[in-house]
Amino acid sequence: MSDLHGQGGRAGAAPLAPGIETVGPDAPQFQVAAAHPRGMERRVALLFIVGLLGFAGFGAAYWQNSTNYFLGLSLGVGFLGLGAGMVAWGKYLMPRGPFSESRHPLGPSVEEKEKFVEDFASRGKVALQRRGFLVKLLSLASAVFGIVAAFPLLRSLGPLPKKLFYTTAWRRGSYLTTAYGRRVHVDDIDVGGVLTVFPGDDIGGALSQTLLIRVGQPGENVVTEPSRANWGPDGYLAFSKVCTHAGCPVGLYQRLTQQLLCPCHQSLFDIGPGRPAVPVFGPAPRPLPQLPLRVDSRGYLRARAGYDEPVGPGFWERGGTT
Amino acid sequence: MTTRALRRVLVPFAVVVLAVALGVFVLGRSHVQAGSPAMENPGIQLTASAASRYGSITEGRTLFEASCSACHGAGAQGSALGPSLLARGAATIDLWLSTGWMPLAEPTAQPVNKPPRFDRQQILDIVAFVTSLAPGGVSIPSAAALNLKTADVAQGFDLFSLNCAPCHTITGAGDALADGYHAPPLHGVTARQVYEAVRTGPSNMPPFGPRQITPAQLRGIIKYVTQEIEHPASPGGISLGGVGPVAEGFVGLFVGTGACLLAAFWVGDRTEREDDEHGGGQEEDPKDGLEGAHV
Amino acid sequence: MIDAVYGWLDDRLNISGSGRKLVNKIFPDHWSFMLGEIALYSFVILLATGVFLSLYFIPSSKQIVYTGSYVPLRGLHVSEAYASTIALSFNVRAGLLMRQMHHWSANIFLGAIVVHMCRVFFTSGFRRPRELNWIIGVNLLILAIFNGFLGYSLPDDLISGTGIRISFSILESIPFVGSYLATFLFGGQFPGSAIIPRFFIIHVLILPAIIAGLLGAHLALIVRNKHTQFRGRGATEKNVVGAPLWPTFFAKTNGFLFLVAAVTAILGAAVQINPIWLYGPYVPYHVSYAVQPDWYMGWLDGALRIMPSWEIHLPGHMVPNAFFPAILLPGVTFTLLMAWPFVEQRITGDRLEHHLLERPRDRPHHTALGAATLSFYFVLFGASATDVLANYLSVSLNFVLWFFRIAIFVVPLVIYPMTLKICRELQHTPGGGKTKRHNIVLRSPEGGYSTVVSQARPGDEPPVLEPVPLDGPELVGAMATGADRRSSGPLGAAATGQGGGVAGASRARGVFRIPRSYR
Repeated sequence: MSDLHGQGGRAGAAPLAPGIETVGPDAPQFQVAAAHPRGMERRVALLFIVGLLGFAGFGAAYWQNSTNYFLGLSLGVGFLGLGAGMVAWGKYLMPRGPFSESRHPLGPSVEEKEKFVEDFASRGKVALQRRGFLVKLLSLASAVFGIVAAFPLLRSLGPLPKKLFYTTAWRRGSYLTTAYGRRVHVDDIDVGGVLTVFPGDDIGGALSQTLLIRVGQPGENVVTEPSRANWGPDGYLAFSKVCTHAGCPVGLYQRLTQQLLCPCHQSLFDIGPGRPAVPVFGPAPRPLPQLPLRVDSRGYLRARAGYDEPVGPGFWERGGTT
Repeated sequence: MTTRALRRVLVPFAVVVLAVALGVFVLGRSHVQAGSPAMENPGIQLTASAASRYGSITEGRTLFEASCSACHGAGAQGSALGPSLLARGAATIDLWLSTGWMPLAEPTAQPVNKPPRFDRQQILDIVAFVTSLAPGGVSIPSAAALNLKTADVAQGFDLFSLNCAPCHTITGAGDALADGYHAPPLHGVTARQVYEAVRTGPSNMPPFGPRQITPAQLRGIIKYVTQEIEHPASPGGISLGGVGPVAEGFVGLFVGTGACLLAAFWVGDRTEREDDEHGGGQEEDPKDGLEGAHV
Repeated sequence: MIDAVYGWLDDRLNISGSGRKLVNKIFPDHWSFMLGEIALYSFVILLATGVFLSLYFIPSSKQIVYTGSYVPLRGLHVSEAYASTIALSFNVRAGLLMRQMHHWSANIFLGAIVVHMCRVFFTSGFRRPRELNWIIGVNLLILAIFNGFLGYSLPDDLISGTGIRISFSILESIPFVGSYLATFLFGGQFPGSAIIPRFFIIHVLILPAIIAGLLGAHLALIVRNKHTQFRGRGATEKNVVGAPLWPTFFAKTNGFLFLVAAVTAILGAAVQINPIWLYGPYVPYHVSYAVQPDWYMGWLDGALRIMPSWEIHLPGHMVPNAFFPAILLPGVTFTLLMAWPFVEQRITGDRLEHHLLERPRDRPHHTALGAATLSFYFVLFGASATDVLANYLSVSLNFVLWFFRIAIFVVPLVIYPMTLKICRELQHTPGGGKTKRHNIVLRSPEGGYSTVVSQARPGDEPPVLEPVPLDGPELVGAMATGADRRSSGPLGAAATGQGGGVAGASRARGVFRIPRSYR
């Protein structure tokens, strides 16, 4: 069927000199790349049939509500057959080339540039420069519009930060309450145990979350630092669970080493007598704020006061070096 | 062999090696999971010959003296090498022996999951001996405490997410803690081991008493661990060991983008430039381009 | 009929005029020019699968009780976003496949962008006149990273929710405006209920629209500037050598689209990605260990991890720790990337146009700098898995952290001279790096060794052909004249009309008869 291909292509016709005269219909550039186009045609046809079957299989799998595996695999086979067939067609059954096109200068010519500048400047002179006052007024009006437009766009997106970052729902007398709403009793936690607690009116609160840790025996008053003499009754300590680095819940307590580890970026905080959650490892720059505790007459754990500093990561207005 | 032929061999070879490495990675994970100690017959076995509800105290004493007393002392009172086991409870002894953590290869080694040294009866004998020395601690759970029929697996998932995932990861894959400690993977653990670990808090793990996690809640956690963690729903294909986006990123980069690169390698032309030999383009000074026309 | 429609459109749009230029546009054949296409086609797949997902996903933080088919969640409080993603995965036909393909495609998209960018950087493809396209490309990378992060966050599962929490903290850390930015974006203090719907509209509308626009500009600039190319095969600064768009490149590139789709579909079928049902819903006080972002955010997470615990305290104000690794580092990174063409022009003084690419070895310092920079980000990426590495290698977490804190400086410093050396060695090895020849190693009588390139044997490699110009004055209409003979279709007829009157066409007539095998 084909008498043209396969002659010049493989035999290595001498490289042609640039120029159109020597390029004839038998030039190797116009030959297909395949040595045996008939065979390649058959292969491409086969690939298209594979693709067809794949897509048909996807249809069947979808109809049968089949598993993800069969759905995806049939679809993949369909794409594979179609794609490989098209690529093979283009790669082996079309002129092998190479062909070329010329580049042209990208920038304008000198005359073009001059003409444009001239048109622009001369018209601008007539239109604008004689009405400088109007231009200024227009600019002012636009600027005012820009500023007031930004307000509805930005200001209504959310509240001003103000106090949001400084306070939590913890206050004097708050009951330590579990995520399920149960008040925590002094006997609830084994020595070495931990529990995530909230103030009763903010259960599940992202900022209020606090980790209650029993580091000591009943009756033992745990003092993390001298100024916090009565903050740790009956072996209990409570620290903000919001990491001072990037705000992740510091929920990983190592009982033997008495350390809190942040699962996100592995900041490590020392907990226990004389250890007020000071970071000893990792990126966290500040200790976790400690919640002062007391045990009330019925044995429930309650906050002596709220946190005495903002919990969580730092922000520009926070200041201070606590 | 030309380098071209060499590449024909090497490229598919590299692909196969990558695929095998991935396979080993994935299967290896599941193998490790499957290789963890698996216990049959949860619950308590009462033995007739013993004074203890667990097993034979005399048998236990013999085993204890042979394998444990070197570090923990003949009376389990502890020594410089190992802590006292008195009043630690049956659950603690059972957990540490049934997970293969004890005995250690050497006194300074970290406990790791391995096949237990003793069979079930021997473990119970040792438990019987140690608990006979001093009362106290958590008992081995009864069959009723491990009955998962009515357990609320969703509540178990919630509690697992809150209390267990920070160390063991949400998929139970386990991870490294600070200072060389590890939170072990939870694959292949038995219901009794979960119960005992939660209640006793082995090593760095905090204990969770019945006033904190109720027996019903604990059954939910056990159900989640032994069913969902053990047999996670993976309708989407290979699960990549449950280590999340790190493994996914590697697959996405090296398998996904890599396969596309291989496809591009086929679609495109791989001719090297021949200017060294043929001079094509070489005579062209790169600075002698089109600039003269318009700069 | 087709003739009529074509003629009608042509009268109004002049398809023949601009279309001819387009069908003759030359695309270089080398495989490394296909890398950007992987990204382009991944974007197409992302759009297609994303439209499917958006039909089922409910962008709402509203808490509901889950009552769906996945038992371990029944009765738990989850957001509508999470519940709808679970339903999409378990109850919508092919829903899980589309979700997984979407996610894998995002990973491939970013991977392809990075690889493509490396190709452009290492072959110096960003030089004049392509600085503008380089900048557009960097912006596409930034937008793709952002959009990937947003998409990853939408299901509102435990792991992505933790990522959102971290992103709030990062916003909060920006000096002067941080707390305002954070509360404005989130509609209040974290977590609020606004973030999922807002992320959704940014993810599916705003960023894709910008990305599509920039992609259009990216491609338009390629057409305007024409492709760069490697030396050899008759390539010069004044031409582009390759295959014409129609039909050769058209067939190859569309086939390639389907190949990329095939890779994505097979990954989506066989490898599970982001199984959010195993992660559970996001609860602000829950957390899992071993949480990482998707890989393209990994370098930022790694930087957050290995950053020493420093903060700047000023009277009444502070610059928090997270600012340095998570705002300053990417800010500097992308600014430098965008500025690089100009920085390089400063250094080399070379402000000329370049259309021929350099081999990396021919610009050793440039290549070494690129490799060292790349290694810096690879180390950061590795550092995002400190805990996983410590666990798998059974070493201390502390050791791994310090390893990365040191490696981040040492590795680039080692990579730079190493790359430099390799480049120079390659330069001085005849035929070095050539894969189609083998070298013969000779041993001199004195015991020294040297290599020479072996002679090519007949059949070893195809002959090197000179390119045939498709746009020379003699060739106007040449291809079409060939087509004219066998086709009475619209293209043949139209092209004849265009090409007939041009001088020289008669000489070319018949010369460019298309071989039968080409039909």
